[in-house]
Amino acid sequence: MLKSWKLKEVVLMSVFSVVFAVVYLLFVHVGNIWSGFIGPIAYEWIFGIWFIVSIICMYIIRKPGAAVLSETITAAIEVMIGNAVGPRLILSGLIQGLGAEAAFAATGYKRFNWWVLVLAGIGSAVFSFAYGFFVSGYAALSPSYLALMLGLRVMSGAIIAGFGGKWVSDGLLATGTLRGYAISLEKRATSIG
Amino acid sequence: MVLHEQLHEMNPAMKFLVVVVSMLTLAWFFNPWTPALFFVGVVLFQFVCSLINWKLWLLLMIPFVITAFGYLWTTVLFAAEAGGTVIWTWKQFEVTDAQWTRALSLAFRVIAFSSISLLFALTTKPVTFVISLMQQFRLSPKLAYGIMVGYQFLPVVKEEFIQIRHAHRLRGVGVEKWWWQRIYGMRRLLIPLLAAAVRKAERAAFAMEARAFTGKPRTTFFKPVPVRIHDWILVFIFVMLLVISGLSGVLFMNN
Repeated sequence: MLKSWKLKEVVLMSVFSVVFAVVYLLFVHVGNIWSGFIGPIAYEWIFGIWFIVSIICMYIIRKPGAAVLSETITAAIEVMIGNAVGPRLILSGLIQGLGAEAAFAATGYKRFNWWVLVLAGIGSAVFSFAYGFFVSGYAALSPSYLALMLGLRVMSGAIIAGFGGKWVSDGLLATGTLRGYAISLEKRATSIG
Repeated sequence: MVLHEQLHEMNPAMKFLVVVVSMLTLAWFFNPWTPALFFVGVVLFQFVCSLINWKLWLLLMIPFVITAFGYLWTTVLFAAEAGGTVIWTWKQFEVTDAQWTRALSLAFRVIAFSSISLLFALTTKPVTFVISLMQQFRLSPKLAYGIMVGYQFLPVVKEEFIQIRHAHRLRGVGVEKWWWQRIYGMRRLLIPLLAAAVRKAERAAFAMEARAFTGKPRTTFFKPVPVRIHDWILVFIFVMLLVISGLSGVLFMNN
């Protein structure tokens, strides 16, 4: 999978992972404070933030694996920072990344419109919910409450990760630092043609 | 070798595997005994085979206990139909004994997961973990060294984050009142941070290539992280702990 990757793309992905690992951990604290009072649903409406790195990396690098690898590496860096949630983050990162990757793979890694990014956010939400259903034992909750949780998570994935990811990457593109990555090659091609 | 060093010396990739397997196994149990016993076992094991700061351990457990409490009451309040006899009623809510045991089980599961995660976090060196993943699980060196480069940048990223915040404060931006303004304002923080990250990544990648780093898979390593007989013994102890807590949990429930 990594054969077609340039080293600078791999390093870019991992430095982005560091930035987002810090952001993610900040949000874990935000969620933790609330979850004691309103239960696991506290995480649902901000869940999209944890999918954002895969969408940003894929949108910029545009190579198979960018979504799943970046999300997994971010989780690994969170573990390396010495976060108490520990190694199980790597597993959930991998699964969230796979959800996003599925959306990009379904479009053949050719389209990177806003709706594909939103779809990737939704993919992560659905995959992570299925995983949470198993690991956190959501089966013990009533179906209507579960539907509310899933609905909130999908919304959050679509808005925060999908639209938010595009918004941040487009802002970054405007700074001109992304010359030499696939995202700016496409812009050049459309402006010529 | 000294008993107190065993968990610190354990092969990190194997330890990682043990943690993942324990979690996936515990997820199948819906009785409160299994996770509770597992938790006690892990803490005892850690007490005998590692030297950690127990004050820090307690401090790190606090948020998990809060989360566990959240799980407990949510699962009681929004429980699925589980049958059993009603043990507690309040207005239109009825809690049956089956629902209560399940809720208790999920809460203990959070505690058990946290204990094994803390065991990993407090006894593992991050860089050795990545090197071990590369040697035992064939993680691509391109990726492994990429991760380690990123990890080295962590203090720099933190410093930059603070600098950007200060710069914003000086100019009078970044004092938002509402949470949605703060989320909107995140972009102002993120973009300079990411732009700097792109530049750093390019420089680091160039430097690595200039020193003839190709990222090809290799068979010899500068710092070998072997799997020894001790590691298998520790894995065996963990598996026994899982089996014992699983079996006795099921037995207790049936009586």
